[in-house]
Amino acid sequence: MFGWCGEILVVDLSSMEAKRVEADRELLYGYMGGRGLGVKVLHDEVSPSADPFSPENILVFAVGPLTGTRVYTSGRYAVVGKSPLTEGCFYSSSGGFFGASLKKAGLDALVVRGRAERPALLVVDDRDVEFRDAAWLWGKGTRETRKELRRELKGFSVACIGPAGENLVRYACILNDVSNAAGRGGLGAVMGSKRLKAIAVRGSREVEVADEDVLDELMDKARNRFIWNPVLSKALSYYGTSALVNVINEHGILPTKNFQQGYFSMAEEISGEALRERILVRKSSCFNCPVGCKRITRVGELEGEGPEYETIGALGSMLAIGSIEEVAEINYLCNDLGLDTISTGVTVACAVELSERGIIGEKFRWGDSERVKGLVVDVAYRRGLGDKLAEGSKRFAESIGGGEYAMHVKRLELAMYDPRGAFGQGLGYATANRGGCHLNPYMVAVEIFGVPHLMDRFSAAGKASIVAYLQNLSAAVDSMVLCKFTMFEFDDEMYARFLSAVTGVEFTQETVVTVGERIWNLERIYNLKAGIGEDRLPERLLTPMEEGVCAGRNIPLGEMLKEYYRVRGWSEDGKPRREKLESLGLEVET
Amino acid sequence: MTKVPSYVYEELRDYCSRMARRGYVTAHGGNASIRSGDVMWITRHASSLEDLKLSDVIQVYVDKHSGFEALASTETIVHREIYLRTPNLAVLHAHPPYSVALSLFIDELVPPDAEGNYVLKSVPVVGGKPGSEELAVNVAEALRRGQAVVVRNHGVFTAAKFTDVAYQYMCMVEHSAEIAYLSMMLEASGMKKKRPNL
Repeated sequence: MFGWCGEILVVDLSSMEAKRVEADRELLYGYMGGRGLGVKVLHDEVSPSADPFSPENILVFAVGPLTGTRVYTSGRYAVVGKSPLTEGCFYSSSGGFFGASLKKAGLDALVVRGRAERPALLVVDDRDVEFRDAAWLWGKGTRETRKELRRELKGFSVACIGPAGENLVRYACILNDVSNAAGRGGLGAVMGSKRLKAIAVRGSREVEVADEDVLDELMDKARNRFIWNPVLSKALSYYGTSALVNVINEHGILPTKNFQQGYFSMAEEISGEALRERILVRKSSCFNCPVGCKRITRVGELEGEGPEYETIGALGSMLAIGSIEEVAEINYLCNDLGLDTISTGVTVACAVELSERGIIGEKFRWGDSERVKGLVVDVAYRRGLGDKLAEGSKRFAESIGGGEYAMHVKRLELAMYDPRGAFGQGLGYATANRGGCHLNPYMVAVEIFGVPHLMDRFSAAGKASIVAYLQNLSAAVDSMVLCKFTMFEFDDEMYARFLSAVTGVEFTQETVVTVGERIWNLERIYNLKAGIGEDRLPERLLTPMEEGVCAGRNIPLGEMLKEYYRVRGWSEDGKPRREKLESLGLEVET
Repeated sequence: MTKVPSYVYEELRDYCSRMARRGYVTAHGGNASIRSGDVMWITRHASSLEDLKLSDVIQVYVDKHSGFEALASTETIVHREIYLRTPNLAVLHAHPPYSVALSLFIDELVPPDAEGNYVLKSVPVVGGKPGSEELAVNVAEALRRGQAVVVRNHGVFTAAKFTDVAYQYMCMVEHSAEIAYLSMMLEASGMKKKRPNL
């Protein structure tokens, strides 16, 4: 088989058994791999009503046909499970080298079932699988865990959880390699519920490519197109994602003080420019990536990765912390504890606003970075108020009567773009299967960067079709698996050509997008069965801002949703119609 | 948003529109910039020069990078290099067809027309991939010695202290290229060329 390995490793932690099974070819062709493969396995194996923390839930670490090849950004993997935060079908994706290592071990996916009796470490060394005791690692931060395992397991790529995952914080993440995070949705807590502290993988198999000559030609094209693209070769390469801070702030959509404002007066102090000038040590790259958007930074004696744009927003402007050094320190802390920085920042910001409004007794104020650091540790260990915050902003705020101040969609905390100045992004937030996710699709590319084409950010015209199309394409890209940043330059045709060259299976623009649409609909069906389907935005974001360049702008979400459902071939209340599902080859109960 | 002065926008819009009307740029091709001290105002990546909007003008720095380059033209790197290596204050880039066509066959355009020859003397043809450092250096070096340069298989860059003059150079290059092309056609048809009075 070219591209794919044709094998899935199934691990049962309850019985400590592991077996390699043949991957169904139709499954691979129909869902590609990565996110798609994981979602299909989740759908087939885990009831939508299952408790995410029960042994019934699974984690699927999946790679795709392009993983581990020469195609740019092909070191990624997707991890899929039922989210303890949204309680729906959830995928999270991460860069680094872990994905490429899984592929080199001859795997299309690793499925983790059950729950270990004691903390466990799973070691996959090519075809050998070993369960090791991890009690000695339990309680350690991700930094130390990876350091210890690197010492013990030379040449392995490691994915692990920190104390937040062990303590079932609903937005705990999984970190791999340096500090690459499968950040969103709390899949780190699912790993913790299974008492799986870490997975170490090493492999020696090369990915077989169907047509090396065609792939060479495509890579030449890709190289030139990456150079040509100002976002990839200039901004991201020079500053990393933090390049966005000033740009987004100037557009009036940098969430500030829990989305009360879209402009942060101290943005310059937490910008990519400040990061580069004051704390940058060096840039770093994931497997086979010419962009190199990662940043290794140093604050005093501390060295770590980041902060990236989303983290800067969530832990900076959202909390009114105007110091790149302070933001970086909180970022290091979250990484070590294994917390998703977006959900952490948004949940803490919610607490600060509730304190300011007198809804909770604890006293917090904006910009108090020392207090935030303490709170972050309390969240990871579920101490005091931290225990409530560990439930996520929605559960926390509703439990004390302040639900309207939780900035989430479908229980997932919103990312760092205020949709009142990017209407398409608002529709994306409202309809994303993950919830308040900025990547499904990343409409900021279209509405702010003009890639592939600039659309009026304050208009609803044409947005429903583009959002649906890009959601489908995003699902396909997450299933190949490549970095979403490639979408700044590649289109469906380029992806199809890569897939055809690598797998020898003929992919067209249409089949690529159809695979994405199939995945999107399957996720939607699963979520509807799990009781999640309300496509809405927080009331605050449906109320125009009073100041700034977006003042008075009102996102017409209702109209956009109506058109979106029609474009998707769904009913007026957002349910996929049977004909639509059949056209996608989905034989599922609705 | 960083305020782009209205007169800067008006000027860029005017000359971009003129280039578009002349057919020097296709729907979303070409770019233009104006320098003022340590900043330059440059057209947005993939903006349409025939109908430039205020939001299509992006402010970036001449002597340092900024995150706003993510929004700016792919050729920002070329404009910056021109400003760093020459005293010019305006740069225009378009894809006029005769110049681009001839660039596939020649290494230097010597204007056959009297006016073009008098003003431009010689226009070099250089190489370099769009958006690359190699292109930036090749173009800037050429503009250190002259007013215009053709990038093979790509387009023309002109630079001057005034946008109007950069535009004049752009028109002259394309006019000279057209004359050169027509002369070649006539010669190929068997007509005998007379010694030009340059």
